[in-house]
Amino acid sequence: MAITRRELFTRVGKGAVPAAVAATVGVDTLQAAEPIPVPSAAVGLLYDATICIGCKACVAACAEANDTPADTRRDFLHQAPTDLNDVTRNIIKLYKPEDGSEFSFVKRQCMHCLDPACAAGCPFQALHKDPETGVIGWTPEKCIGCRYCTITCPYHIPRFQWAGFNPRVTKCELCRHRLEQGLKPGCTSVCPTGAVIFGPRPVLLLEGKRRIQSNPGRYYQDRIYGEHDNGGTQALYLSHVAFEKLGLPELGPESVPARTLRWQRRFYQYFALPAVLYAGLVQVIRKSIKGHEEEAHEREKRTGLRAQL
Amino acid sequence: MSSATPATTQNQSKPRWERYVPVYGFPVVNSFFVVLSLLVIVAFVLTAYRELAGLGPVSGMNDAYGWGIWKTFNVMVLTALGSGAFAVGIAAWVFRRKRMHSLMRMALLTSFLAYACGLLLLGIDAGRPWNFYWMVFPWKWNLHSPLAEVAICMSIYAMIPLAVENIPPVLERLWYFDSRLRPVVTIIERRLHYFFPWIIAAAYLLPGMHQSSLGALMLLAGERVHPLWQTPWLPLLYLGAASFMSFGCVAGTTMLCCLVWKRAMDMEVLDEAARITAWLIFGWLGLRLLDILFRGALGTAFHFDRFAAVFWLETLSIAIGGWLLVRSLRFHDPQPMFVGYVLSSAGGMIYRFSPTTLAFRPNPEALYFPATIEILVSLGFISLGVLGFLIAVKRLAILPAPLQEWYDMASYFRFRRPYIRWTGYFKFGFFGEEESEASGSD
Ligand code: SF4
Ligand code: SF4
Ligand code: SF4
Repeated sequence: MAITRRELFTRVGKGAVPAAVAATVGVDTLQAAEPIPVPSAAVGLLYDATICIGCKACVAACAEANDTPADTRRDFLHQAPTDLNDVTRNIIKLYKPEDGSEFSFVKRQCMHCLDPACAAGCPFQALHKDPETGVIGWTPEKCIGCRYCTITCPYHIPRFQWAGFNPRVTKCELCRHRLEQGLKPGCTSVCPTGAVIFGPRPVLLLEGKRRIQSNPGRYYQDRIYGEHDNGGTQALYLSHVAFEKLGLPELGPESVPARTLRWQRRFYQYFALPAVLYAGLVQVIRKSIKGHEEEAHEREKRTGLRAQL
Repeated sequence: MSSATPATTQNQSKPRWERYVPVYGFPVVNSFFVVLSLLVIVAFVLTAYRELAGLGPVSGMNDAYGWGIWKTFNVMVLTALGSGAFAVGIAAWVFRRKRMHSLMRMALLTSFLAYACGLLLLGIDAGRPWNFYWMVFPWKWNLHSPLAEVAICMSIYAMIPLAVENIPPVLERLWYFDSRLRPVVTIIERRLHYFFPWIIAAAYLLPGMHQSSLGALMLLAGERVHPLWQTPWLPLLYLGAASFMSFGCVAGTTMLCCLVWKRAMDMEVLDEAARITAWLIFGWLGLRLLDILFRGALGTAFHFDRFAAVFWLETLSIAIGGWLLVRSLRFHDPQPMFVGYVLSSAGGMIYRFSPTTLAFRPNPEALYFPATIEILVSLGFISLGVLGFLIAVKRLAILPAPLQEWYDMASYFRFRRPYIRWTGYFKFGFFGEEESEASGSD
């Protein structure tokens, strides 16, 4: 027995050791956060919570721009969704602490992550990052409705339509149909105070930094959420209260997929390791089968009953 | 070692499993069978309703808990129990634990049924199942997605290696059923054996991949999974849990069958299975506790909350189950062994269920409890598997038994049930003679 086991290990080892060496040599380079490329024409939103007056014009405009029915399910009268849902891609929420300290509105929509967790998990690339604009769009023809995106997105953005036989996944797609026509997104075109603006990501970053510089002490941590967070996002936030309170968790500079799927990705790289394992297994099993067949036929001779393999 | 004891059959005090023998003398249709069939029918009707109405009206799933028990129990948990073809198979074929071959057909059958029912429910759970056709275009796969890996790998595994591995008992039945079929059956068998090494190897590689990817699924959920469960080792722990759970499922089910259908138990085989299981359990527990220690999450196990309760429930039942298995080895006692299998598998089931449901905290207010329809459908598809199992063990040679059982069965069909033509294992009046290829000219 011991010999056969050793034999297995050597067989597998013959192929696996070089592979493992190659992997460990590469570990240092792979361990470091790989820089995430920013799409060439990355566009995005910049939302400044200190300017937002919570009028919700953008919520109505978003529904109109995307041709979705108004969500009046709460009182059957007003368009007043309580959260993102199957017809709401954009929502204004109020953060109001009980101790009476500063309150804030926050606009929630897809962050258009540079390394999106939703697309990393989506099995047939229904959620896909546009290589040029960086917009993460949803393709109904490729979505199997597994709802994995509602679990993987660290900002809990995509929402699944729970009713009906032909459910959709709803999320802000940065009004990509309007961008194609040369129009601005619905939400930014109606905002009365300019709390949410649209533009190329580098321009928005510059604008954000300018605001931080000219208003010292006004902004939380004097930084833009989304510049580096979660590997960088294309929707950027400025705020006077802690980002976490607004539903923007501190995820660190590494993107969620890069951080969590590193080993997984390495194991399946080029399918090399599985292939080596497979070859080793075939060899070992071939030998076992031969032994097993011999034994079975011996038993057949002994008992006179047909061998069962 | 091979043929050192030629007179094993005479040893009545210590029965040895030497042959797979169908369960005979018990009708397939009994009241239990009828109840299960009713559950299946109910589930099918409700499934039709679900396809029309959508997921919301039939389930407790919501925006926060996007996955319900169909995925988290029927797929995540039950395919772990159904990994016998993987774990027992590796012990038998790769590590050449010869005795494990007696359990192989049980392992293959339970695996196939668990996977088939799981996959059916996976299709029902998907909101837009018609788009599964992308599966046939490999270049459209998102190879980095653990879910794609699970869906594709599981389907391929269940439809090719696992199904093929389950063919021999069927062919064998045909061989015995009608002598005119024998030449064809023999040819098919020979072809099959030729491809077996490749098929069996795939049958170990694929589940190894997707059972670990099931664990990788929850990695992307990050902090929303409680720190006692969320770890980079999740894939390996999931695979390990599947290994000992499936041993428990295969050996435990076999013991239960022996009890119900009054079969002799071969304690040599069962002891070996229990020994392997105990090793797997303690290795797994060690890895799990070390991981918790090194990540510094141990403190959360002593908070007074539901997560700590689930953690202790799961860890203790696995540990006690393992301890019972070790004890049963000393006295060759089937009773603590069976309880040990049940406890450790139940603990493993809780472990596999936790990251997606019990220890998943999308936000503080969110709640998920399966709706009645959801539970009924889930139950219905479990019943479907059990039904398949009951039919298979009574019509095919799946369960291991002492040699004597085979002769008993032959005489049973000859003398007690001579009128059975279609449901008996043998051709009418066949006595198990004329088995050698030479005299098969009947
Ligand atoms: S915020 Fe969520 S839905 Fe939007 S791109 Fe990032 S991961 Fe995807
Ligand atoms: S529900 Fe659709 S979009 Fe979301 S991960 Fe699944 S296939 Fe992709
Ligand atoms: S970009 Fe378009 S879809 Fe996105 S929030 Fe604004 S209006 Fe809505």
